[in-house]
Amino acid sequence: MTKIAYGVWDGQAVDRRAGETALPTGWPDLDGFDFFNKGNPIRAFIGDRGFLIFDDSVSLVDAFRRQMEMAAAQSCGKCTPCRIGAPLIRDALAAYAQARPGPIDLDGIIELARQMTDSSLCGLGRTATVALMGAFRHFRADIEAEIATTQPLPEQAGMEYMTAPCIEACPSKINVPRYIDYVRDGKPDYSLGVILQKYPMAATCGRVCVRFCEMACRRALVDEAVGIKTLKRYVADRQKGPDALHFTRDMVSRQLAPEMRVAIVGAGPAGIACAYHLLLHGYHVDILEALDEAGGMAAIGIPSYRLPKDVLHSETDIITTLGGRFLFGQAMGRDFSVDDLFARGYRAVFLGLGCQEGTHMGVAGEDLATAGYETGISFLLKVHDHIAGIRKTDLSGDVVVVGGGNVAMDCARSALRMGAERVHLIYRRTRADMPADPGEIEAAVEEGVVFHPLVNPARVLSDAGRVTGIELVAMRQTEIDARGRRGVEPIPGSEQFMPCTTLIAAIGQQVQSGAVQPQDGLNLTRWGWIEIDPFDLSTSRPGVFAGGDCAFGPSTLIHAMSNGLQAARSINDWIQLGHTCFFPRTRMRALLHTHKLLASDCEEVPVKREYRVHHPELDPEVRRTMFEEVEATISDDDAYREARRCLRCYRIYSVITAQPIPEGAELS
Amino acid sequence: MNQPNATDPLLLLTVDGQTLEALPEETILACARRHGLYIPSLCELNDIDHAPGTCRVCLVEVASQNQTDEPLLAAACVTPARAGMNVRTRSRRAREAQRLQVELLMADHNQDCATCVRHGNCELQDVAQFVGLHTNRFYDRARVMGRTVDRSSPAMVRDMTKCVRCQRCIAICRQGQTVDALVVTGNGLDTAVGLRHGLSQAESTCVTCGQCLLVCPTGALGERDETDRVLDYLFDPEIVTVFQFAPAVRVGFGEEFGFPVGTNVEGHIIAALRSLGADIVLDTNFAADVVIMEESAELLRRLGDGRRPTFTSCCPAWINFAERHYPDLLPLLSSTKSPQQCLGAIAKTYLPERMGIDPARIRVISIMPCVAKKDERARSQLGAGDVQEVDLVLTTREFARLLKRRGLDLRSLTPSTFDNPYMSAYSGAGAIFGTTGGVMEAAVRTMYRIVNGHELDHTEVAPLRGFEGLRTAAVEVGGPIGRVKVAMAHGLGPARELCERIRAGTADFDFIEIMACPGGCVDGGGNLRSKKAYRRNALKRRDTLFAIDRATPVRQSHNNPQVQALYRDYLEQPFSERAHRLLHTWYSDRRVAMTLTVKDIWNEITMSTTIY
Repeated sequence: MTKIAYGVWDGQAVDRRAGETALPTGWPDLDGFDFFNKGNPIRAFIGDRGFLIFDDSVSLVDAFRRQMEMAAAQSCGKCTPCRIGAPLIRDALAAYAQARPGPIDLDGIIELARQMTDSSLCGLGRTATVALMGAFRHFRADIEAEIATTQPLPEQAGMEYMTAPCIEACPSKINVPRYIDYVRDGKPDYSLGVILQKYPMAATCGRVCVRFCEMACRRALVDEAVGIKTLKRYVADRQKGPDALHFTRDMVSRQLAPEMRVAIVGAGPAGIACAYHLLLHGYHVDILEALDEAGGMAAIGIPSYRLPKDVLHSETDIITTLGGRFLFGQAMGRDFSVDDLFARGYRAVFLGLGCQEGTHMGVAGEDLATAGYETGISFLLKVHDHIAGIRKTDLSGDVVVVGGGNVAMDCARSALRMGAERVHLIYRRTRADMPADPGEIEAAVEEGVVFHPLVNPARVLSDAGRVTGIELVAMRQTEIDARGRRGVEPIPGSEQFMPCTTLIAAIGQQVQSGAVQPQDGLNLTRWGWIEIDPFDLSTSRPGVFAGGDCAFGPSTLIHAMSNGLQAARSINDWIQLGHTCFFPRTRMRALLHTHKLLASDCEEVPVKREYRVHHPELDPEVRRTMFEEVEATISDDDAYREARRCLRCYRIYSVITAQPIPEGAELS
Repeated sequence: MNQPNATDPLLLLTVDGQTLEALPEETILACARRHGLYIPSLCELNDIDHAPGTCRVCLVEVASQNQTDEPLLAAACVTPARAGMNVRTRSRRAREAQRLQVELLMADHNQDCATCVRHGNCELQDVAQFVGLHTNRFYDRARVMGRTVDRSSPAMVRDMTKCVRCQRCIAICRQGQTVDALVVTGNGLDTAVGLRHGLSQAESTCVTCGQCLLVCPTGALGERDETDRVLDYLFDPEIVTVFQFAPAVRVGFGEEFGFPVGTNVEGHIIAALRSLGADIVLDTNFAADVVIMEESAELLRRLGDGRRPTFTSCCPAWINFAERHYPDLLPLLSSTKSPQQCLGAIAKTYLPERMGIDPARIRVISIMPCVAKKDERARSQLGAGDVQEVDLVLTTREFARLLKRRGLDLRSLTPSTFDNPYMSAYSGAGAIFGTTGGVMEAAVRTMYRIVNGHELDHTEVAPLRGFEGLRTAAVEVGGPIGRVKVAMAHGLGPARELCERIRAGTADFDFIEIMACPGGCVDGGGNLRSKKAYRRNALKRRDTLFAIDRATPVRQSHNNPQVQALYRDYLEQPFSERAHRLLHTWYSDRRVAMTLTVKDIWNEITMSTTIY
């Protein structure tokens, strides 16, 4: 375990250079903190709560110079103390580190550091100098000894990482405060530029994302989380008309040789994101897609009243603009195998097959051939074809949807729009337990979906090959178990019959059977998903990578897109170097996360309450009849107002290491 | 959530030992102000609801709820008052923090105060005095003087060496005027305010309305100063200087010399111009009457042709707005030039002919409550070759500066009167051009006469006189024209709303008056600046204009005897060949293309931010 020589943490100082002493309570557990990468020990750590020195030969002056270098570079320049203070402290420390007379004496540095901490506008300024002040307060003699030498201090190696709770919560690690800032600055196209660094489907994500960022948003401590998704949609939707942002081939940094080809299987969010990043790296990318359009689950699994098809396709078209090629009607397992792809000369393969097959309920009378029986996904496919004008489906009478996830909500709300008289939603647990997005549940209730929680299907009833109804059993909650959870159990004798014309089982999805064949050489998990190494998304077959639902099970759009980016990096490394690489920022995030180093402070100074803006939405009575989008984009005024709510909870974390941290080393 | 509601108990807090009652969600600054307690502040501007919390000067000490902890510093402008809060605004800690903040601001601020037009009228200087700034340890001249100074526009100068990043200009341009030409550029120490897409002031979507100048706390934003060139003309014996001043100048100028707000100082201005050495003093009001002659005739002609609506064209910022933002609506604009330009055109043709002066010796100098008039003066349509109709435009502020440079105090002058027999008489209709609805009312008075052959029964048209941003009315003009549906918008927000409605085909109007500045010219961007206030004087100035109208013996443009003489002796009639050549103009599509590529954006943001 890493030994702390001295440091300050949450305001308490410890000095163990003269002899081992116990650490105060609340200090981080640093098991596994020894090395940053293979053979490269961590000598010091600086964060928003304090600093920890493991190697007592570390130069504090140079370590804090590095920290302030980052603060000055990342300052948004709006508030006075951070804009002016950070560069002044940086310059003073740099002068001392080079044994030049500093423009400001040590007391001056403390005065400025205190002003930054006490009076800056945002989290960056308010936390960047906390550790520095601790060092100057408790270890001033060490600092004075350092600057008393006439030789320049050696420049130390290490890295600085700036992040925020919303960034850490986002699977794609989008720089959320930065894109909100650009809205505030009046440059929404720059906001989109920030998002496009991660994935091309901004307008799509701005409509259907599950918003891990908003769950982490510290504005909720004041009133409500910032409408991060709403702002994302706003910046993406502004790109219309003659002044729309242009995608050009010069986004590709360096076009690689013609043989540098990669095959992507599946044009869903994971495949699109992976293709996008590989194209930007200069590869020649073909996307093989079983259907005749791009988008995967985003195209067929999300109804158009939430995600209009033209919005989705304008974003999948970016792939073509960048030189990528879609090969439609190509299904793996039917039209080609992994071997075929390598035989065609692709250097690597990314599998983004998705989970396209509905899971069955496994109850008596369930027969796929029965008319009126659907899985969630097969039903959404019919909805898709209905709207696209490919094949009409008309519902009537009562429709029963089984399930409590977003797919179940989509099925229920779509069924209303397809002509169902009543739609019943059956879920075995309570409404509060439903995994669907609360906003989706709310919308379904408003539109008239009848919820039946704590009810489970027992038997499907049919007559002459047509579903006639479903037998249900009531459930009750069991006592809280040892893990603190409540289960459910059937109530004996509570069976009841519910007639229906259509029954939709929206309880889960799995990888299409037959897509992966034994000769593909891919290991599968016990859930039937493709086995991957979460570190680099490699599969058991060299050169084949996988991500999205087919590797992790049914999950979110944003997870799939982050997998696409991660796989693109791995594929690039694998093709260029023959192995996948260490990514310093990923390592830094893991360190912060594992050792819980991010401060979980509350707002000390009161903040004025300003509640979030909402999308203009149509009346539920109107919208339940139509497949046009139900939410409109917010206005410019509302966007500016919403952007102003961001507290910019940035923090900077630095490590000092023995050797420089390489991009592309292997992890220890 | 803790949303405020009417049944909340009284919210009491202590500020500097006094118990104050706060309104729900009221900030400490607003509460203190309401109770007459001063807290220094800089970026905040209550009149435009602007509190970005960026300058951090209004720091106050707030005792921690947990009595053992050190007090916290809070920015009073954004921190809400909470029950039981104990605030100290003048404790040693608060004073030191306020002072250090101002010192940090000065570290990045041009120190040549004596050369600045805001010297003595600067909010930053005030704050520095209040906090007792006595050192300036961090000033870096090389860094500050390396900042952008944009002199590309004929109207305005943006001097980033004096910017405090309060963002008031952005707020007024974005929320107030909906032009949204300004953005925050760069980051860290390089953060500044710039024009969208890195364009220069002259190339940008800015319409030079100058509202940003009225809210700027320092000298960062200003008009292009022409006082030296005026002095050159005044002291050149070969040159005949012809001055004109706008309807609104006479009611918005006295304050600078201690007159009550809204005082009509027309006579003092005439006397001041004579003292300066002006050769001929004319009145823009006269030209306003000429504009009405042309515009009324034009409007009736257009209505006869079934062309509607027609927009007024007196306001140059509105013209810029239409050319930059709504070029598709340009065919709807009246072709009549503005009063300033009509006066210039006539002063270089009719006037020298009457007075026997060589027109080449004449230089026309305007005094305007307007920044955009400088831009208008330079339009290529409004001159021939090197000869412009108007040679120089001074804002009201520059005129004050000019008087001070000659040591003239308005109060010590004996008011004088116009003496030019050709171009200085005006009607009440010309006088009210300076306020919203005034052009419309003046036009209605004349149109009614043209259609009916007699004057309106009630000269003042009350339905036109409201003050809302967008007003509509229907006026009975009589004859074959009948009811005329009119709309009046002041401020570009309401103007944009109207333009959008016309684009969408949902507006039904015959005649639309637009004034780009909220309130009209009486609060135009060229008026005197006030500190920590915006648009407080418009109504008083407006009342004086109406009073001038009432006190003027002739109240209709067509009854102005000098206007009648002009038409009789020179122009013949509105829209004559000569009138058309001298008094009408055209407009051009000047839409700004703003297409960026993702690559452009990435080039900039990868330089300034880490890609995650």
